[in-house]
Amino acid sequence: MSEAKSEKEPGGALEIDRSELVATKVWDTSLFKRLLTYARPHRRLFLKSFAVLSLLFIGELLGTRIWKGAIDGPVAGAADAEDKAPFVQALLWWVGAYVALIAAMTVLRYFQTATLNKTGQAVVHDLRAAVFRHLQSLDLGFFDRRPTGALVTRVTTDIESLSEMFTSGIIALLFDSVKVLVVLGMLFAIDVDLALITMLTTPILIGISLAFRGGARRAHREVRARLARLNGYLQEVLGGIRVVQVFRREERVAARFNEALARYFEANRRTIFLFALFYPVMSLAVYLIQGAALWAGIGSIVGKGLTYGEFVQFWLLLNMLVRPIRELGERYNVLQSAFASAERIFQVLDTAPTVVPPATPAAVRTAPGQAPHIAFEDVCFSYVADTPVLRGISFEIPPGKTVAVVGATGAGKSTLVNLLLRYYDASSGRVAVDDVDLRELETSAFRARFGLVLQEDFLFAGSVEENLVMDRSEVSAASLAEAIDAAQARDLVNGLEGGLAAEVAERGATFSTGERQLLAIARALAAEPDVVVLDEATAAVDSATEHRIERATSRLLAGRSALVIAHRLSTIRGADEILVMARGEIRERGTHDELLAAEGLYAKLHALQYAAASA
Amino acid sequence: MAILLRFFRRFLAYRTSLLLGLLCIPLAQLCDVGITLLVGDALDRAQDASDTEWMTRVLLLMGAYAVGHSVMRFYQRWLIVVVSRRVEVDLKTELFGKLVSLPFAYHDRSRSGDVVSRVTSDVEAVRMVLGPGLMYTLGALVILPISIGYLFTINATLALMMTLPMFTMGLTMKLLSGRLHRQSVAVQESISAISHRAQENFGGIRVVKGYAREDSQADQFEGTSAINRDNQVLLGNARGVTNAAIYGSFDLTFAVILLIGGLAAVDRTLPIGDLFKFIDLTIKVFWPLIAIGWILGMLPRAVASAERVEELLNEENPIAEGHEKIARADVRGALAFEDVSFTYERGTEPALSGVTVRVEAGETLGVVGPTGAGKSTLINLVGRLFEADSGRIHLDGHEVRELAFDALRGTVGYVPQDSFLFSETYEENIRFGADHEMTDAEVDALIERVAMKDEVACFPEGKKTLVGERGVTLSGGQRQRTCIARALARDPRILLLDDCLSAVDTETEKELVGSLRSAGEGRTVIVAAHRLSTVQAADRILVLTRSGEVEAIGSHDELLEREGWYRDTWEQQQRTESLSAAVNDEVGGAA
Repeated sequence: MSEAKSEKEPGGALEIDRSELVATKVWDTSLFKRLLTYARPHRRLFLKSFAVLSLLFIGELLGTRIWKGAIDGPVAGAADAEDKAPFVQALLWWVGAYVALIAAMTVLRYFQTATLNKTGQAVVHDLRAAVFRHLQSLDLGFFDRRPTGALVTRVTTDIESLSEMFTSGIIALLFDSVKVLVVLGMLFAIDVDLALITMLTTPILIGISLAFRGGARRAHREVRARLARLNGYLQEVLGGIRVVQVFRREERVAARFNEALARYFEANRRTIFLFALFYPVMSLAVYLIQGAALWAGIGSIVGKGLTYGEFVQFWLLLNMLVRPIRELGERYNVLQSAFASAERIFQVLDTAPTVVPPATPAAVRTAPGQAPHIAFEDVCFSYVADTPVLRGISFEIPPGKTVAVVGATGAGKSTLVNLLLRYYDASSGRVAVDDVDLRELETSAFRARFGLVLQEDFLFAGSVEENLVMDRSEVSAASLAEAIDAAQARDLVNGLEGGLAAEVAERGATFSTGERQLLAIARALAAEPDVVVLDEATAAVDSATEHRIERATSRLLAGRSALVIAHRLSTIRGADEILVMARGEIRERGTHDELLAAEGLYAKLHALQYAAASA
Repeated sequence: MAILLRFFRRFLAYRTSLLLGLLCIPLAQLCDVGITLLVGDALDRAQDASDTEWMTRVLLLMGAYAVGHSVMRFYQRWLIVVVSRRVEVDLKTELFGKLVSLPFAYHDRSRSGDVVSRVTSDVEAVRMVLGPGLMYTLGALVILPISIGYLFTINATLALMMTLPMFTMGLTMKLLSGRLHRQSVAVQESISAISHRAQENFGGIRVVKGYAREDSQADQFEGTSAINRDNQVLLGNARGVTNAAIYGSFDLTFAVILLIGGLAAVDRTLPIGDLFKFIDLTIKVFWPLIAIGWILGMLPRAVASAERVEELLNEENPIAEGHEKIARADVRGALAFEDVSFTYERGTEPALSGVTVRVEAGETLGVVGPTGAGKSTLINLVGRLFEADSGRIHLDGHEVRELAFDALRGTVGYVPQDSFLFSETYEENIRFGADHEMTDAEVDALIERVAMKDEVACFPEGKKTLVGERGVTLSGGQRQRTCIARALARDPRILLLDDCLSAVDTETEKELVGSLRSAGEGRTVIVAAHRLSTVQAADRILVLTRSGEVEAIGSHDELLEREGWYRDTWEQQQRTESLSAAVNDEVGGAA
């Protein structure tokens, strides 16, 4: 704790979260096995990838063999010969073979990239769809507890780093290891002394590569984090540019920015240093091997233990050996971040919904088209343990009737909606539809009978029509047109460029609050719901819109069982029962007239409000 | 290209490092080529290997070349890339300074994402080409002529023939780069489509679940993801073709060497050692060659980026500071708008049209009207965030255009509509407002004044707690109060409140109006509001029409007397809001 504090001390806002820098493990067998289950359906693609890689590797080896053959055959043979013709002929055969090999390998190289990529993409697409589908099954509490951005990362960045694992991580790593081993074996076949020298120095190369990857990874993460901080600050300042300029704090924010910039530069310098060091050190080590090979090789050539062709083949093989080793560190890093992503993804997949569907779901007793009976029976609820939001709430919504809830913010009104829609389950007591516990009903079938109008109703990207239909098969063109009329939204829709086909801007930003509400009502009406949940917006709208909303609302509520969190006097007056809520309890209940006659809290409020309205 | 040269001038600020780094490039390459020649010669003189002295000399020389190469290569990268990063720092510093000085009108019309990408990815694209890009290009330009030239002296035909596949490779890469670019743009777009869909779904999950749309949403998402997969596959295929072309021409070079070199070797006109030189130098030339292709591919993008960066650097600031200086203490705070009109650059209709209104020193003016009536615009004109198109604005009789910013902005306290706070500590956000170094006691007094004392005490690290994602998330009301404290920190003569209470609920508003009233005491206050109860107590209220004209000016009571927008809206807002507010009062009172 004290350590964290001291880190934040000067310019805490620029400090990066050290926990972002912690590395995770590189290999996790159980995670890997689980990933394999997603690979299994695409095993043909995997087999194809392996085949391509193997053939390519064999081709590369054959290439070096052709060089040896050509040099030791025609080139060496022609040395003392008078008639060169047969040697030229032989050489042309070798060249022919080489060209054929090149042609085949060029085709294989295309497939190497294309097939590996296709394989990885196929797997991660499945995984991405599975994660998203699973997220859809999770309860609202899960979403309420997490920032949207973090969840988006699960289906974007994390999935992408997994795809790298399939394309350049695991298969490549496996193959590189095989390559190194086979090439070493070939070296032994050519010349034991040369091979021994190489084999003894190979661990040095691997060591350098691995030592470097650790440093590089940390340095890179630091650079990324610093850059994110820098860009974040830039974005923040741009967002608050008015404040900066009116307060004349241009120099202050510039000083901050430059401080962040300096830290970013420092992190960069470290990375540059590491990379500047890595390649020269690596090539120095390779030269070391080459020097040794030269020394031993020349000796062997003189001693007739080694031919020129073998020496050239050896040299080419050496090049084949170095590359996978140089890339080892990179592969290792890919693997590591892929495992970290896999872990986060599986964490989501392993989260079980707390609102669970029943094993044998019951159907709502009243047939579609008829309003059901709804009852809250002694319902208690809390989002966080020990902070009750609802304390023993009981009320009924008889078929076709409207219950209006009034009360201050935090009284628990929205929670009633959350429970009725089964976004959350009650801690105790029950919510029943036609005397069947909500928890025993098939949730989606039950929700499909709802018309829902939320305070800041959400509009999705797409056309207005798509937003009103919401992919519901029960919404026909006729019912949609009827709903738009009933919701008093006809003028609004006609006024849009393109009418129903008009595109909705990001989150419906182009619509005013009042307009959004009319659209939400049309959306609810379109499927002719049996139950209505209405959370009236409090935001002020102009009186013409207000009038339309009132009319639309009364059309929405007519003949349906409805729970309304009400702010409009007209809605409240028209309700069959009014619940006055405070601190998670129902303080008063009755019709408008009854409550007025009772001369309690509601009557007092009404008087207050009436006075205010006519002041 | 000329534009890249202009940017390259910035590199000359570090010419010593740069020149040293550039010098290292040929040295490193020469050492590298030297080793190949050494090995080749050694092969031909293998018989002399019995001569240990000769062998030792070869090995020592090889060691010297190897060390030389490595050291040079280290310095080449270290010097040049660090310089490129320094230039990046310089550029970003300059760009940032430019950005904060540009008038609000600039920020208003440009999307912030676009501006950020100029400072980030555009600068990076320019740096890449001029720093590492130059390094690789130069490396290739050195090793290529040296190697080919040397090989030319050994066997001219072979040296000429082996460059053919290299040219083909360059050509193919050039031909393929368009396709690669198109495919990667398509991939990027489909990735952002995925993130868009996800964001929308998670944000609107209540509606999704409320309408039981989970399955259809999942299907749609799967479709979007499938588009991405297909684009990725196409990109992979394009990469596959590029890959095949590069390696194919590499292998083809070897085939040429095998054919022509082999024939020469059979003829005994080309010794084995020289054949080896051809092979090894081809390997060494190949990668720099690919790097050149890579840089050439980046050039068009870098030029476009450089243009965007330069455009920002050359952006002119039309709002110049005036020269008239008044001591801050002498500012009384009387404001007068005379026939002021303003139209946004992107707007077709005027936001303000012939507005004339006076605000005496110490007076409070409320500004109300329908959405889009220009309430915020009026407030923004005072501090010259925007410049009025016509008409005049006076502060104490001085035209604001003539005033030094110190007198104008220095005496203004501003509370923005979005209650913007920095992700810094709570305390720093308040100190931000003061021109002097505030004492702890002063900060505490302000926190208490805006009724945040108890809440701040509950923050994990008190007033040193970071605000925002990595610290405490403040409620709308808390943000507002903090913004007010920040504005008060400079002890302003004029307090500008830009519709800052519309985002909070009625209960919070009640609290805030109280602290605002005390904050405004003795100051000139202009408060724009959506909710009329906010301005109810103002000395006078300016009612603007949708087209930015003055509909009426008067006190709350006066405005209620007459028919019009104000009375209609007042009654309607009372109807919708008073009930829940009243319940709250009642319950609060009972508790």
